[in-house]
Amino acid sequence: MLQVIVNGVALGAAYALLALGFVLILNATGAVNFAQGDLVMAGGLLVVAASMVWPVPAIVLLPLVLGLMALLGLALSLLAYFPLKSQPPVAVFISTIAVGIMLQNTANALFGAEPRAGPPLLTAGLVELGPVTVSRQALAIIAVAALLIVVQHVLFRHTRLGRVLRATAQDREMAEALGIRVNTVIAGTFAFAAAYAGAAGLLLSNTFFVTPSDGSNYILKAYIAVVIGGWGSVVGALCGAMVIALFEVVFPSLPLVLPGLASLPGASWLFSQTMATILLYVVLLAVLVVRPQGLFGETVQRRA
Amino acid sequence: MTRLLTIDGLTVGHGPLVALHEVSLDVAPGEIVALVGANGAGKSTLLKALMGLLPAQGGRIAFDGEAIEALAPWERARRGLGYCPEGRRVFPGLTVEENLNVVARPDMRLDDVYRLFPPLALRREALGWQLSGGEQQMLAVGRALMAAPRLLLLDEPSLGLSPRLAGELLAKLRMIANDGAAVLLAEQNAALALAIADRAYVLGLGRVVDHGPASEPRLRRSAEAAFLS
Amino acid sequence: MIAALHQAAARHGMAVPLIVGAVLLVLWPTAFSTAYDLRVFTLAGIYALLVIGYQFVFGHAGALALTQGAFFGLGAYVTGILGARYGQGFVVTFPLSIVVPILLAAVVASPVLRLDTHYFALATLGVAQVLLLVALLAEPLTGGANGIPGVPGVELLGTPVPRGLPLAGFVWAWVILGALVARQLLRGLYGTAFHVMRDNPMLAACLGLDTGRLRLAAFLLSAAYAGAAGSLFVHTIRVVSPEALEFHVMVAVLAMAVVGGRTRIAGAILGAFLLVHLPEWFRVFEKSYLIAYGAILLAMIVFAPDGLIGRLERWFPPAPAPLPEPEPLPKRHPIQGEGPLLALQGVVKSFGGVRAVAGVSLVVRRHEILGLIGPNGSGKTTLINLITGLVRVDSGTIRFVGTPINGLRPDAIARRGLARSFQAATLVEGLTALDNVAVARATAEGVGMRRALRASWSDPSLARARRHAMTLLNALGAGDAASCEAGTLPHGVRRRVEIARALALQPALLLLDEPAAGLSETEQADLADRLAAVREAGTTLIVVEHNMPFLARLADRLVCLNEGKVIASGRPEDVRADPKVIEAYLGRAGVSS
Repeated sequence: MLQVIVNGVALGAAYALLALGFVLILNATGAVNFAQGDLVMAGGLLVVAASMVWPVPAIVLLPLVLGLMALLGLALSLLAYFPLKSQPPVAVFISTIAVGIMLQNTANALFGAEPRAGPPLLTAGLVELGPVTVSRQALAIIAVAALLIVVQHVLFRHTRLGRVLRATAQDREMAEALGIRVNTVIAGTFAFAAAYAGAAGLLLSNTFFVTPSDGSNYILKAYIAVVIGGWGSVVGALCGAMVIALFEVVFPSLPLVLPGLASLPGASWLFSQTMATILLYVVLLAVLVVRPQGLFGETVQRRA
Repeated sequence: MTRLLTIDGLTVGHGPLVALHEVSLDVAPGEIVALVGANGAGKSTLLKALMGLLPAQGGRIAFDGEAIEALAPWERARRGLGYCPEGRRVFPGLTVEENLNVVARPDMRLDDVYRLFPPLALRREALGWQLSGGEQQMLAVGRALMAAPRLLLLDEPSLGLSPRLAGELLAKLRMIANDGAAVLLAEQNAALALAIADRAYVLGLGRVVDHGPASEPRLRRSAEAAFLS
Repeated sequence: MIAALHQAAARHGMAVPLIVGAVLLVLWPTAFSTAYDLRVFTLAGIYALLVIGYQFVFGHAGALALTQGAFFGLGAYVTGILGARYGQGFVVTFPLSIVVPILLAAVVASPVLRLDTHYFALATLGVAQVLLLVALLAEPLTGGANGIPGVPGVELLGTPVPRGLPLAGFVWAWVILGALVARQLLRGLYGTAFHVMRDNPMLAACLGLDTGRLRLAAFLLSAAYAGAAGSLFVHTIRVVSPEALEFHVMVAVLAMAVVGGRTRIAGAILGAFLLVHLPEWFRVFEKSYLIAYGAILLAMIVFAPDGLIGRLERWFPPAPAPLPEPEPLPKRHPIQGEGPLLALQGVVKSFGGVRAVAGVSLVVRRHEILGLIGPNGSGKTTLINLITGLVRVDSGTIRFVGTPINGLRPDAIARRGLARSFQAATLVEGLTALDNVAVARATAEGVGMRRALRASWSDPSLARARRHAMTLLNALGAGDAASCEAGTLPHGVRRRVEIARALALQPALLLLDEPAAGLSETEQADLADRLAAVREAGTTLIVVEHNMPFLARLADRLVCLNEGKVIASGRPEDVRADPKVIEAYLGRAGVSS
């Protein structure tokens, strides 16, 4: 079980990066970036492609992926955000859907629809931690993701750039009136969010493979994480991501831990991955109804 | 005396509604100039247009000899315009110190601001939303002062403050002006504003209806007339 | 010749291009012979039906729902299962394919429709994903990932409808029926109500419109159309698979709606037609036609957000309709009982830590004009918002004709006879002044879906509402502007139109928030006279104002607020001379060092 939980935490760590980028754009611009999931997929494919040219552990390729994905994020902001400043927020929703479609199908055209595996972060193999055996990959994912999250925290909380980013997110007009180049800041936020999405893709590529159609799945995970954790809360997004991942990993493994469950009729589909996902969405809908502000968020707007 | 700020024939209209009609005024370095008048008279609109947060349909704005009508708000800020909006608008999720340090400049004036507003020094780590109205107003002014502005635009600082606090705050403006920043103050509390200003403009329905030295009794009467004829 | 066409266009607006388009559409299938082309044309019809349905919720209700593909797939599976497994024919599968999505929509709607944009979209996306996963999982029922083959084609009265032209005609017949139903529903007062709701839901509520009900109706309608399209789809391709539930269907529908135009039926047909044929016309795109979809969607939302039909409408604007004859409004029922019309008792409201209203008690007598004054931030507008239900009181009661109304929704309060105007202009830009006022008659006319369907060719309730609106505009001196689009009106006229709109509710109590703001002196005097006439006709008024001369002429009584409390109340002359009032406005000096 501990092994399962470690895997869950690793998955959660990767999801956390995805949710983090999503929340940053949300806070900075008030806009929902529907392409965030496709950015994760793009990062995964980038590392797959790079490793075909240069077969090294993914950790070496990480800076390259971060850099290229940042450029992609910049392009996204120029295509889907800045031209739509005068339109209502739903227009950005649609434009990011559009860019997401383009990303997804370009990937499909270039790589084909089958899943691809990325290189492991360091090396493959297992490690003994006391009584339990866990995969090196899982530990490496946790370590890298934790490092990136710490970097984000330090950057945002303890540097001037971070103050500027947070101030712009909290009151854009006032930030501009104080001399902050708001457009540059927003473009930078998009770049940062895309870079982190790419990192998430890289981390997930080895264990979970990369398929061009992954995007819709990932954006939903980001959404769910942010709703559970509280819309706009960074800490909430991280917690929500962990909750999702643990659920996804632990739930199908329940029959292994509690053998009584395995003998239930229909256990094979009841405890399948698909069922876990269905239950996750049902829980999401329940949260939206009962406590839409999630764990850490402010009260959600209701219609008049 | 060379003028720091010269506004000539400024017209601002929200759609079919014209909020400011050919308004002209000027501010000299180190002066405190008050804008008084009823609500809807255009005081806030004037300051917002000065800062570039509202588009102007006509007129010229010259700051330190340079025409700034076409500049973006952040460019105007960097040229020496400091802005404290109506409602303070401190960054709610940043601490007092972070609010002050948001736009750090080489000449960091953190200690000067804490000396000017001692209560802020006691609340360094408090988050913006946790502060009282008076503390927020001090923070907003302090934040604008951090960039060493040459002209400070203050929009209704007494709003939501008790008369005592408002009086104390406005009294500091004299120290700020002596330190080198001119102040353009929009206030609905005409009595308070006229008590500390050097000169004043009375606005009514988007036009300047009177102006002159603040101590002149005529101006107080004009202000009253604009409110409660 | 060109000049004659130009003239025809100017007189009839979009009629010319629409007729041309319809003719082309009819001729299109006769232009080719291959069964494949006809199949694509049939598919275009199915998508057209799907998009017309989607326009109810996305275009008219203005809600970004992502369930259209899911309802389509659900209808498809209902038909597939009933047809292939239970041997049912079209007569059974079609209605059930409509009913089941409606039921699902009804179940999902209640919790989900209340949510704001992002949450709503996400929730609908979640529902769609759940359906897809269930279809994959429930293999005994749905055939799992492989789906169910062998669905029979369409059979009417025993005779099968052959593939090719007859089937295409059959499908398009349903499209035309669906288009007619949609047009019938939306061209009258009901459609105008939707327009107001999506432009400004708060305003719609203040006009007495039940926005929740409108949104629900739109959602259910979209589900019904999607189910119908799903059924036709499966009878055409004779197999059902999870592909019908996949997200790319939703994406295609969204793209078609954006490309064609969100609220125009012609746009739905055009969008569906273009985007279904796109991969056929550009064989090059075959593998990556979805990239083109994405690029087109992006280009459209950036450059032409109102779609192709929207663009076309700019080149063929409709000729202004003649002004209707004014008709006096029906008599309003007199208010029962005695006692004050409105009574506030200890009303308190705080925002964050600030007490906007700090214990206000006041009484408004019938047929009086009460002026509400006070410096900026004294709580006047908050008080109006509390009375009209836009904001909830923290404590205290507000009684209207003796019955408490705090806690009621704004539309319920409006229907009881309280109407208001707003500080900032809140006319709906895309509507004429006349229609802006007419839509306020929607509640009085009992507007609703059933009424809309039964109405004859030219909706009598809309015509009548417009005649009433004409009377009101004339009463406010804005009759000349009736056929002008609201966005083009000067400020003074807008104010009058807004007041006319509030009066269209025939309120017992009218609350005006700074009605004289921005008006010239002559306009103010005129407005004061007209408001006095409104009072003579039996309406009580509360007027929030800064403009003393205006109020002095108009008000019977003044109440002055400061810092959320009443500091003076009485005759205008007395209140204005009250030293507390003067101090509140001009402030006190002298505490400076």
